[in-house]
Amino acid sequence: MKDLTVPILLLAIWPATAALAGARHFTYVYEAVTSAPGSLDVENWVTWSRTDNPQRADEVDFRHEFEFGVTDKFQASVYVADWFYAADPEHSGFTYSDSAVELIYNLTNPVVDPLGLAVYEEIRAGDRVFELESKAIIQKDLGPLILAYNATLEAVWQGAGLQDRQGEFQQALGISYEISQRVSVGVEMLHEFVFPEWRDSEHIRNVFVGPNISFRHQNWFVTVTALAQATDTPDEADFQLRTIFGIGF
Amino acid sequence: MFFLLAIVACLLACESVNYVPLVTPQMAAARQGRRVDVATLREGRTLLVHRCIECHTLPRLWHYSDEDWPKIIHTMSHRASLKPAERDAVVAYILAVRSQNFVTP
Repeated sequence: MKDLTVPILLLAIWPATAALAGARHFTYVYEAVTSAPGSLDVENWVTWSRTDNPQRADEVDFRHEFEFGVTDKFQASVYVADWFYAADPEHSGFTYSDSAVELIYNLTNPVVDPLGLAVYEEIRAGDRVFELESKAIIQKDLGPLILAYNATLEAVWQGAGLQDRQGEFQQALGISYEISQRVSVGVEMLHEFVFPEWRDSEHIRNVFVGPNISFRHQNWFVTVTALAQATDTPDEADFQLRTIFGIGF
Repeated sequence: MFFLLAIVACLLACESVNYVPLVTPQMAAARQGRRVDVATLREGRTLLVHRCIECHTLPRLWHYSDEDWPKIIHTMSHRASLKPAERDAVVAYILAVRSQNFVTP
């Protein structure tokens, strides 16, 4: 019940005129456009990932997000709960992971400016995990084509006493082509540089790439991306399938 | 290198791809019997390029007729959180651009 207090309060004070906050064309890549002021959107994320190296393990991650348009250039989101179901030879079951706050400020427009820019900050806290994530989001709309690029810096403290530290730099590139006003198809690519204990001694580099499709109608949308690992990093997912279903009130 | 040049060329060409011309005084006076002020047209343009792209890319303004545009904007105004005056400003801007013969079929 404690986890539901914040969203219930926010819903109670939100204007009755709230509308759809916007549709996502990507599931891993963020876009520079922010939600209209007064809009409210609920997004449910489901990510299935399979790891085969060194042993087979499946995990399904869930996220429930409330997204608010605060001003024309600023939006705020609350990740009420991130939780997951893991199935591997040693353990299976549901586990609560964390909750988070996400803030995005738009600087320039992807249609009329040479490049659309936005800055992103996320603060995540949970059971034995604390994370800070900063992102620069670049987007350009060229007719029916959307190009988006994210540069992300992430710092994670986790484990007992938050003593395990890890840094990560990630580049993400997305291309989406709008076939019609309702349907878009595209490609997403992630390039990760992982720094356990803030060091690069293990030289961990991961690349994931795959197609996506997005469908929107009236006050809802659904976007699906399938990513395959193009590198051969142990303990990283070989295949991921993410679906985001969003609905406006 | 070729890829980078292609991206730069695309960005330079973006004004012709995303055809949302700046508002001019001539545009405000263009439609006979439907004169609107420049400030309203500017607001309409700003709203068009901010709110509509939250869900989809901008359609070319010549894809629909003068009669269709008000209906389309009205249908989507709730999704875009447009108030009635804002909705009218967006329609006014689109019709003003079309009346200036900026839009080519």
